[in-house]
Amino acid sequence: MEQFLQQLTNGLAVGGIYALIALGYTMVYGVLRLINFAHGDLFTLGAYLGMTLLVSLGLRDGLGPVLGVAVLAVMVMGLVGLVGALLERTAYRPLRESPRLSAVVSALGASIFLQNAIMLVYGARFQVYPQDVLPRVAVTVFGASVPLMRLLIVGASVVLMGALYLFIQRTRIGTAIRAAAIDQGAARLMGIDVDRVILIVFLLGPALGGAAGLMVGLYYGQINFTMGWVYGLKAFTAAILGGIGNIPGAMVGGLLLGVIEALGAAYVSMAWKDAIAFLVLIGILIVRPTGLLGERVAEKV
Amino acid sequence: MKKIASLAAALLLAAGSVWAQETVKIGLMAPLTGSWASEGQEMKQILDLLASDLNERGGLLGRKVEVLAEDDGGDPRTASLAAQRLASRGVVAVVGTYGSSITEASQAIYDENEILQIANGSTAVRLTEKGLPYFLRTSPRDDEQGRVAAQTLLARGFKKVAVLHDNTSYSKGLAEEARGLLTQAGATVAFFDALTPGERDYTAILTKLKAAGPEAVFFTGYYPEAGLLLRQKKEMGWDVPFLGGDATNNPDLVKIAGTAAAEGFLFLSPPVPQDLPYDQAKAFLASYAKAHGGTPGSIWAVLAGDGFLAAAAGIEGAKSTKAGAVAAYLKKDLADFSGLTGPIAFNEKGDRVGEVYKVYRVDAAGAFVLQP
Repeated sequence: MEQFLQQLTNGLAVGGIYALIALGYTMVYGVLRLINFAHGDLFTLGAYLGMTLLVSLGLRDGLGPVLGVAVLAVMVMGLVGLVGALLERTAYRPLRESPRLSAVVSALGASIFLQNAIMLVYGARFQVYPQDVLPRVAVTVFGASVPLMRLLIVGASVVLMGALYLFIQRTRIGTAIRAAAIDQGAARLMGIDVDRVILIVFLLGPALGGAAGLMVGLYYGQINFTMGWVYGLKAFTAAILGGIGNIPGAMVGGLLLGVIEALGAAYVSMAWKDAIAFLVLIGILIVRPTGLLGERVAEKV
Repeated sequence: MKKIASLAAALLLAAGSVWAQETVKIGLMAPLTGSWASEGQEMKQILDLLASDLNERGGLLGRKVEVLAEDDGGDPRTASLAAQRLASRGVVAVVGTYGSSITEASQAIYDENEILQIANGSTAVRLTEKGLPYFLRTSPRDDEQGRVAAQTLLARGFKKVAVLHDNTSYSKGLAEEARGLLTQAGATVAFFDALTPGERDYTAILTKLKAAGPEAVFFTGYYPEAGLLLRQKKEMGWDVPFLGGDATNNPDLVKIAGTAAAEGFLFLSPPVPQDLPYDQAKAFLASYAKAHGGTPGSIWAVLAGDGFLAAAAGIEGAKSTKAGAVAAYLKKDLADFSGLTGPIAFNEKGDRVGEVYKVYRVDAAGAFVLQP
């Protein structure tokens, strides 16, 4: 029981990060029907920018750890969001009327470009965050030890996802995004500036991915320029698991994938952990081809 | 006109006498470019240094020694080209190279041309198991590392051990080797599985490891994962001792884990050059510092130096440059020979005899300290 609880919390922390990244995939797909393959590298960029800002600005000493990290998070999210928007303008918008395959190739190219740019600026070696930016304490819940940082990761992920959900559901821009997701042509006829909607989607998704990158850097300490690939793949899987295009689906899919991985590693085999996760994905897709929360919900809202 | 003819004749005569004094050519096949270029450059520096030393003392068999370096780029295809070029340039022995698969690509070429090859950074077991007569190596073998790992764990009184690898052929082979020896010696291997390299969160694995209740963990993967394991293990409040293989020997390990979490981590490695306790090594490191400043960073480059010294000793001892005679001498008669990394002798297969692996421990300041 104790081990089960411990693995559950392990899985939720990893899953929270998958979920945050998955939101970027799902939002872009929802509006543009495009998989933004560069999204994983925007996540990496968030981790690197976080490290640079943390080291060069001395926020922690000036503002204290909690406020310092909060300001840092806002800056990283803003900057990565801007890069995302820039990416949309340069790599995707010129191809919007072209066959879908061109945009996919452009996305792959953007991914390779970003990855190499990060490598050229920061070098190919592992980079390490300053130690102990936030206090490292753990609480014990029913015999399972849970570091405070993990609670923060899960908490921050849930808050960010909740905020996004409310933004999409309750604001005028959110309504416009939903409208554009259902039918871009009709939305345009209703007077919605679809280009602006797409730009906002490309600001929000990468900003959340950047926040996930910052969390990974702060918590795990070690980052390198290729890490976006594994996280991107897992998050993309999570988005499909939950039903791509569906925002609550991305959250559920991410958390679920993290938990499946942790429990698979614990009770079946560690070496087969990823294979188990993908087997579950295939199983779910056979039963529900649109993913857990599927397209149905997206249509309804 | 006559004058010119006689001059030409004189020159020819002079050339003839030089011809009789032809140098002994020893080849170096090393990654002078590519991702391991720093290793290869050091190998060349060391061989040049040792050759000029040897020439000052009169050379080999009364002839001067010449080092011919060819770049293998750290790539098997380039290595076979480099081997062919060295063979056609008339080398009698070759030192090299770094990386088992790269060495393997060149083995057959040297063997066909009857050239002695002494590898310096190639630890895969199969290289000497093929029974090639002119192939030797100064680097230890992977199964030797497994043996030292089992020995170290048992000597420290660990009876219940977990073995963790990362599914690469090096890491898995080493893990299996250690598991076999530990079970043979009566210890329990309570846990044996692999992690996926390249991830950030290993807490699921650590939780499972902890549940198996080992007294020590032997991890055979590379330093980035080892650093994360140490860090996350400390965060879990689990203070089991960790032992790593030679792929964890990298200062970045301490950066990733944090000094506090890395303290007490043990790993196996051939000694880093500064820690070589032998007189030969000290003299050599002093002359290296004089010529190039600093110390060579890589033990594998120093092992190339040992390859050169062994080849020279073999030629001197066999009084011949024929590969067959030199290899036979090295395998059977070489004794009391001290190289840079300690006493050197070879067995029938061409593997180095004796222990090369040492145990290191990370101290409270994050420095790697050689254990007695």
